[in-house]
Amino acid sequence: MLKIIKLEWKKNRLTSYFKGLAICIVGIFVAVALMSLGSQKGNDPMFPNYEEFMSLTNILIRIVFIIFSSVILSRIVIDEYKSNTIQVLFTYPLQRKKIIQSKLSIVFGFCFFSIIISTLIINISVFFLNPIMGFFEAPVSISEIITTVPTTFINAFMIAGVSLIPLYFGMRKKSTATTITSAVLIGFLINATVSNGGSSTSLFQFIGVPIVFCLLGLVIGYLSYHKIDKIDVA
Amino acid sequence: MNSVIQINQLSKTYRGTETVSNVNMNINKGEIYGFLGPNGAGKTTIMKMILNLVKPSLGEIIVFDQRILETSYEYLKKIGSIIEYPEFYERLTAKENLDLHCEYIGYHHPGAVNEVLEIVGLKGVEKKKIHEFSLGMKQRLGIARAIVTKPEILILDEPINGLDPIGIKDIRELLLILKEKYGITILISSHIVSEIESIADTIGIINHGRLLKEVKMEEIRKENEEYLEIQVDNLEKTTHVLKNKLGIKKYEIVGRHIIRIFEHENSSSQINKELILNGVVVNGIEKQQHNLEEYFLKLINGGNQHA
Repeated sequence: MLKIIKLEWKKNRLTSYFKGLAICIVGIFVAVALMSLGSQKGNDPMFPNYEEFMSLTNILIRIVFIIFSSVILSRIVIDEYKSNTIQVLFTYPLQRKKIIQSKLSIVFGFCFFSIIISTLIINISVFFLNPIMGFFEAPVSISEIITTVPTTFINAFMIAGVSLIPLYFGMRKKSTATTITSAVLIGFLINATVSNGGSSTSLFQFIGVPIVFCLLGLVIGYLSYHKIDKIDVA
Repeated sequence: MNSVIQINQLSKTYRGTETVSNVNMNINKGEIYGFLGPNGAGKTTIMKMILNLVKPSLGEIIVFDQRILETSYEYLKKIGSIIEYPEFYERLTAKENLDLHCEYIGYHHPGAVNEVLEIVGLKGVEKKKIHEFSLGMKQRLGIARAIVTKPEILILDEPINGLDPIGIKDIRELLLILKEKYGITILISSHIVSEIESIADTIGIINHGRLLKEVKMEEIRKENEEYLEIQVDNLEKTTHVLKNKLGIKKYEIVGRHIIRIFEHENSSSQINKELILNGVVVNGIEKQQHNLEEYFLKLINGGNQHA
């Protein structure tokens, strides 16, 4: 399976997506940092502390990488069906299940690691830049950052699961546009924040919701290949 | 005979319609098997079933003495194929596509890709991306991809579509070389008889999902006897001369001025002389042979009547 992943990687030139990843990380950080700095001029700072600062950052990270993963998903799965190269792929002496599993692992893995890496990089940047630039008043300690590590991993895993949901919509009409649109909708749906002024809440905060969505994504992934040996590739 | 692909009572039903029905085929080692039939006859479906892309509803396919199961895939290593339109990864170059193909098959042979590009006449454009290729070039590249790993069986679904006459000739010669030099078994489909008539050893004729006939080319040639075709001004007078003066009984009137004679006792010059002497104007006289095209049309029309 590693070999198939490697070939997929090469075939789709996935290395070039690292540039996109870097741009996303910088973009998210700059956006949140500017919001923070800008709001301080008007005596009503957006983020009093590290926690608040990261809560918006995490929302952006989740939305961005659900969408980014759907781009990769459409590139390596949907496009293959759309352009019918899947037919060529299935005439190779490889187990079909493994082929699809490899493709889905790339999407899952990409989403998971991108979220970890971007969270890590932004955390490091915050830690070092906050004393200089003052994004928020309350100083942030290393231990505070470290306590967020387990949640980051759990969230990354859950979002990686969620990132497979667009597969269901995209495969119905083998459409790239549908795949990405559904990813945008899902991303906003589970991360959108509803606020009544004082307190705010988003679907992602009810732990049950991301778990259900993640499981849904994994089930969709599983369904896409569990009967693949019985299906005609027309 | 050692058969490489054996198909027994194969049927495929798509949403209640039978597209392939009770087909039995036998493809022997080292032969070129021409698969003839009009568009939509079921050729592609059968080829896809051999490649396990489409699953049979009934019947079995045996490749290299092994029955193909839903989960079979190892045997595909030995098969090169083009099915329908040759699909490639459009963003990659011709060479990258072939390299990738070799890696997927697990065939590592430096120089093989260059060699095969040379064979199909695509040397010099290997660094071009596929989306810049014409249909003919893609078709050539498709053939290159099918043969680059030196498979034991080639399955080519209408490989000559979109090729220019020189390309067609090249491919025909290439297939003969592959058969003779490397002993590759080739299954090639077409709806144009003349395309494969000259290279096939066995022909399977298919229409409406049924295999109407599986026959050796040699037999077809034997079956399709020679005849003499004469163009005359007056058919009545001609038949009179043929029957009464020359004693010819086996003839056939095929047009208002054309008659065919199937007996060979009299030479064409004799017949010509006799007709002229009896006042028939002979506009043309020619020795001919039923070609496979007619044979094929006859079979397909016959098949229609039975259906």
